[in-house]
Amino acid sequence: MASAAGTPAPPAGRRRCFAWIALAGLLLLAWLAGGGALVAVAQERRYTVAFANLTEEPGATLEGTGFTGREVRESFALAVRRYPIDLVFYDNHRDGQKALANAEDAVRRKVDLYIQYLDDPATNVKIGQSLRAAGIRALAINTPVPDAPLYTMDNRAAGRIAGEALSEYGAKNWRGLTTIGIVVGNLRAQEHRIPERAQGASEGLKRHLPAIKITALDTQGNPAQVGPLLAKLLATNSATKALVAAMDDASALAAKSALDSAGRLADGAIVGQGVDRSVHGGMNDRKEIDPSNRGSIVIGSVAFYLDRYGYEVLPIAMRMLRGETVPPRTVTSHRLISAANVFIEYPPYDMN
Amino acid sequence: MTRKSLFVVIVMLAALIASVPAALAQSDCKTIVPPSPWGPNDQTGATNRVTPAVTKAAAAEIQEGKVVVMSYPLGDGIPLFGTRFTKTILTATTLAPGAALGENQLTYMEDTWLSQSHVGTHLDGMGHIGRKDCYYNQTPMGKFITQNNMTKLGLEHLKSFATRGVLVDMVKVYQAAGKFKGNAACKKPCLEKGTVITKADIEAGLKMYNVTLREGDILIVHTGWGNLFEQYPAQNAVYNSGEPGIGKEAAKWLVTQKIVGVGSDSWGVEVIPGEDPKEAFIVHNILLTDAGIHIMENVRTDLMADEADRTKRATFFFSMTVPKGVGMTGNFVAIEGIR
Repeated sequence: MASAAGTPAPPAGRRRCFAWIALAGLLLLAWLAGGGALVAVAQERRYTVAFANLTEEPGATLEGTGFTGREVRESFALAVRRYPIDLVFYDNHRDGQKALANAEDAVRRKVDLYIQYLDDPATNVKIGQSLRAAGIRALAINTPVPDAPLYTMDNRAAGRIAGEALSEYGAKNWRGLTTIGIVVGNLRAQEHRIPERAQGASEGLKRHLPAIKITALDTQGNPAQVGPLLAKLLATNSATKALVAAMDDASALAAKSALDSAGRLADGAIVGQGVDRSVHGGMNDRKEIDPSNRGSIVIGSVAFYLDRYGYEVLPIAMRMLRGETVPPRTVTSHRLISAANVFIEYPPYDMN
Repeated sequence: MTRKSLFVVIVMLAALIASVPAALAQSDCKTIVPPSPWGPNDQTGATNRVTPAVTKAAAAEIQEGKVVVMSYPLGDGIPLFGTRFTKTILTATTLAPGAALGENQLTYMEDTWLSQSHVGTHLDGMGHIGRKDCYYNQTPMGKFITQNNMTKLGLEHLKSFATRGVLVDMVKVYQAAGKFKGNAACKKPCLEKGTVITKADIEAGLKMYNVTLREGDILIVHTGWGNLFEQYPAQNAVYNSGEPGIGKEAAKWLVTQKIVGVGSDSWGVEVIPGEDPKEAFIVHNILLTDAGIHIMENVRTDLMADEADRTKRATFFFSMTVPKGVGMTGNFVAIEGIR
């Protein structure tokens, strides 16, 4: 206080300068307050987005994985909590007519954006036209809608990740031993793009073992066939190691069971596809891919994240709603989930 | 011992010694957890804020002498998270014919209680939640655990919880905002699981009763979800399947408010399923690991919510004694709100 009292008063010019600075500061604050209000108003703008799911039929699995439509829907319901979006849910029932009716309803509701998940390209074309005529932008999942950004899995890449992991495992652990590659699953399921997945797996298996012989075992959609098919093959390859690229998690578990039944667990390594709840779990579950089960011959599974589609797709939707440009194609970041990273990538579902 | 075998022994010992640092290798906790504002030796955390002045000010909340129960009964059959368990066994041998003692025919009974500590209405201590092996105040916990307990951050280091409690009624906030979504299993209104309670929601709850948080307060969040606990064991599965709770933004804001703890009528206080499917109990990290702010779970909040609604006053004297469990990560507690 003493030093302040002893400070001489500033000259009149400086006082005027201070006054102008103070005034400018007040104006700046007022402007910021106004801007803040504008921002607040912008944040309050809510959008209505329709999500037409592929199918929510109980028990029906999607895309050749163990995921259900209900899991896809739930991921949207949870992910939307982050955004000023009101979701309208539709179930396409894997049916073109139903999908068209859903889109018509959304047009009547004047939604701001339509997220279409239907594996019927011809119907998607019609729906795209209908939405465009109504001035509603579309976003497609896994099967294109003309002129709409596409979020999609990459089956070939996923297959390759599995194949490479197996190939690396074989090269590292079974060097010098006779090793065969096996691709097992519903191999002709074009609608689920399993042939692409199988092709990728075969390519990956050759990454570190270029001379490996690969056998394809087609279960024709019946995982119960994995056992007999694999048992027969193992019987004719008694002193052989087997790298098994299973096209889904159910087939991976069936392959392990078959190797176990044949007394050949030590001769096998398996990678699945999907990472659904059949292979990882909650706090109390002890599932196949688990940090406490590192010795399993199911060395991993490639994640497809259908249970996180909402978290992947809604950010794209939000950017579209804000008028931003989005890439025409966004691909799932498939990765190998093993005992070493499963709790990082998929914390026990009852803990997050 | 020959010179050769002596050399072999020395080499083996050297190898063993060299391997020890690797075995004890810890994360660099200074880069993972912030330091305590109360210094590098602090093991107390947010109860440092409960000063005599804070307790004295809180005592002003006792105006009627009315005590409101804020704990649920503790017993077999209550909802338990994960692998937690509790089992009570009564010893009543002297009640058998002829087993009474002495001429005065003394009989007695005792309980054996086998229980995990994070059961029922309970407090999470500083040793409960970490990030990697790093716990509150940059503690590399791997160096401070035995098979029986922790040698650092145990409940014995906590100070008093005699402070002001502030209740925010999220059911009323959501109803007032027209965004209430309930769960059919609740017999009284409850927020649906997965509901993210935001900073704005808490502020609205405070404004509803014209309260401002002050340093040293304990915040109690009423979601209504606890009604499922009250129905035990009928709704245990629903209760444990998720919960409404505070989100990350709200937790970070509460840290800035310098409170002592957050309690709620749910098993985890934070929203489940969480905001990010790749995070596990992240609000616990924000409050406990990073800020030493306690979490109280399965708090009975409905009676205080009713009381606040009736009197239009949401503050009370928060009375909770935490047993000095040496090296324990948490413990069941009894809470009473005194008005």
